[in-house]
Amino acid sequence: MTHPVDFPPPDSAGSARRVFLKQLAAASGSLPLGKALAGGTATALLLQSAEAGAAPSGKPVINTVYGYESFGPDEAAFVEAMLNIMCPADHFTPNGVDCGLAIYIDRQLAGSFGQGARRYAAGPFLQGAAQCGPQLPLTPEQYFKAGIAEADRAAQRLYGQLFDALTPQQGDAFLQQLAAGQVAGEQLDLAEWFNALVYPLFAEACFADPLYGGNVGMVFWKMIGYPGLPATHALDVVQYLGKPYPGAAHPKSIADFS
Amino acid sequence: MKTRASKTVVIVGGGLTAGLIARQLTAKGVDVLVLERGGDHSKGPESSLPNQRDELRWSVRQGLIQDWSRETYTLRHQQNQTALPVRWMESFLPGQGLGGAGNHWNGHLWRWAEYDPQLRSHYQQRYGKQAIPADMPLQDWGVTYAQLEPYHDLFEKLFGVSGQAGNIGGKKLPGGNPFEAPRSGAYPQAPLHVLESGQVFKQACDHLGYHPFPQAAANSSGAYTNPDGQQLGQCQYCGHCERFICEANAKGSPQVLLYPMLRARKSFEVRLNTQVLGLRYDAAGKRATAVHCLDLMTGEEYEQPAEVIVLAAFTMSNTQLLLHSKIGKPYDPVSNTGVVGKNFCYQVNAGVDLFFKDKWFNPFLASGSTQIVIDDFNNDNFDHTGLGFLGGATIQAYQFSGRPIKGRRVPDGTPRWGTAWKQANADWYAHSMSLGIEGSCYPHRGNYLSLDPTYRDAYGRPLIRMTFDFRANEQKMAAFVSGKMMEIARHCGADKVGSLQALVTPFDSRLYQTTHIVGGTIMGETPHDSVVSPHLQHWDAHNLFVVGASVYPHNSGYNPTGPLAALALRLGDDLLRYLQRPGRL
Repeated sequence: MTHPVDFPPPDSAGSARRVFLKQLAAASGSLPLGKALAGGTATALLLQSAEAGAAPSGKPVINTVYGYESFGPDEAAFVEAMLNIMCPADHFTPNGVDCGLAIYIDRQLAGSFGQGARRYAAGPFLQGAAQCGPQLPLTPEQYFKAGIAEADRAAQRLYGQLFDALTPQQGDAFLQQLAAGQVAGEQLDLAEWFNALVYPLFAEACFADPLYGGNVGMVFWKMIGYPGLPATHALDVVQYLGKPYPGAAHPKSIADFS
Repeated sequence: MKTRASKTVVIVGGGLTAGLIARQLTAKGVDVLVLERGGDHSKGPESSLPNQRDELRWSVRQGLIQDWSRETYTLRHQQNQTALPVRWMESFLPGQGLGGAGNHWNGHLWRWAEYDPQLRSHYQQRYGKQAIPADMPLQDWGVTYAQLEPYHDLFEKLFGVSGQAGNIGGKKLPGGNPFEAPRSGAYPQAPLHVLESGQVFKQACDHLGYHPFPQAAANSSGAYTNPDGQQLGQCQYCGHCERFICEANAKGSPQVLLYPMLRARKSFEVRLNTQVLGLRYDAAGKRATAVHCLDLMTGEEYEQPAEVIVLAAFTMSNTQLLLHSKIGKPYDPVSNTGVVGKNFCYQVNAGVDLFFKDKWFNPFLASGSTQIVIDDFNNDNFDHTGLGFLGGATIQAYQFSGRPIKGRRVPDGTPRWGTAWKQANADWYAHSMSLGIEGSCYPHRGNYLSLDPTYRDAYGRPLIRMTFDFRANEQKMAAFVSGKMMEIARHCGADKVGSLQALVTPFDSRLYQTTHIVGGTIMGETPHDSVVSPHLQHWDAHNLFVVGASVYPHNSGYNPTGPLAALALRLGDDLLRYLQRPGRL
């Protein structure tokens, strides 16, 4: 690696924007770590936000969990920019960050998934058929961060700026190129990184139970009409054969039953 | 290393087959010890609300599946390649914990075709001696369907199977599968509800002159008490079946119907968190003498002697234990000699998505087996003259879940993110369905299992190496049956028909296809071509028996559970005979 992945290269073009993002977070009163400490465990905190989701209000429910466990500020800026492009605020959902997608991915990378739990890690590491699966001596967290650094360098090569400083249109075009294998990494295969690691995390962040920090307010479940956890459907399967299922408008999460 | 007190029968692996064998033996007071590497799932979050309904934890992160950091497999497609370890397996999912893969299965239950156990003879009789290519080592099993029928019947009653019989005693019954092997009686329970997707498919198949019927299932269509007094609840169509444990006790599973009963029997013992590392073998006496165990909770290694040892682990583990313990001659594809690891087969899959603006499919209202199927193009249920391949596949409209991380369908050309992506998900989630094929995979001389020369598991043993690819026969068959599926798809009245999701070649460990892998310790009539006899007795150790899909010499276009359960129940009865007079059965 050219730079340690946890630190941005000096004088990077995006640093001013990053300072702005941090100031914005502070100004909005969202006090990154204080609430996490007050709430005790991360689970308790997520349950609080689920309760907030249940509160009657005309406004869309947005993420209230702050303070990343894995991402440094530079990585957070990349991921937040990416998720707000992949999930723009529109008539379906708030933007990706407000949907909790960044918190979800951060928590997954900091947790057992990111640390490579239950994944075979013994050497030797040889290259061969893609169908054998990735042969990388990196944990998913290390791989994710290495990819951010590579993608940022590619953005600088192509646009003269770090990814998070691109306009949404430029950023979207860059991600499309990345996914299609049209952006070469210096060492990493960036298409493989995006398609096999980043994209599945994005889909999970949108559609996993809100317990894990994403899909805040079950907004993606409401969007498609997935009812979540009702325990019994033996009567529904007959009554709603070929008809809309009314429970789809009011999904239930694990947190609602915890 | 300590040696513990000898047991009469020791069974390696605490899954479905072990439970069925132990049922037969402990009913007669025979002392049985089951060794299981995992724990007991029956009271944990995986089997209780609300945490059971966690797609991320149990499905995506494989919470009930083998720990790949401890035991995985290496893969190469051809013998001249270097195999690499599959570091995170998606294509098939061995279970871990009491009940094994019988915890997280979908519940589809088939009796295979009447001719499946005589497949080589059958094809030669129908198409001539030259019909079977030289590199396709099909062989007869040495047991007939008629011999297994009473055990199929018993298993279906024990597991409360829901289905519509198509053939009772040779009499064809409307609404069932006309290709079904003759049954001695009806299924113990009525079939599951037919969903909207099944109705759409049935209409198209009726129009085309095919024979649709509801999938027989160990998903309980009603409340049920089995002949042992064990109970199943009614299926709640919750859409969390495959990859999950049923929290409603409505899925026929060993940890619901077998192990609680067995653990109350005096002659039964199960040791959890016990990893079996190998077998001790007396080559001169042709006996397996003991099992080498590791207690994962204490780190203690010990030897467990037994009069009879049964290998009832997952397909891959049965083969690994024989190869690692040097029991039987390893298969060599070059010289075409040896047997252990031979006839490793997978299964053929393909699919297509259908989109209907005005139909509500409600994909989340589903059981693990809610599908309507046709058997018209499966195995040798149709004439293969001039087709250039053998075998076939079922075609089905399946609806097993609407779990949102992995269970969404969008039309071809949908962007992968952004507002248009959201729009497509919102538009089609409840208004789409899928068809699929599940097809046979016949053995090929170059597809086999062996010990990897480089990579080792967490216990220092060589990993099992898969040398496997879908060969020309399977590719041609998949193309043919996929064509029939696409024809049906075009007759379903959909607004949009997706493009064919064809059989993926080369074989890809990164895609879930099916957990139905077979072979490696195959059964047959002679020691020359098989590892175990028709009674599942090892040819080189008369007190060693192997059970499970690892004994199948080929894979049929059906889920494997039916015959392996019947063979396990029969083995339990055979062992009662063996214990009275040890020797060749």
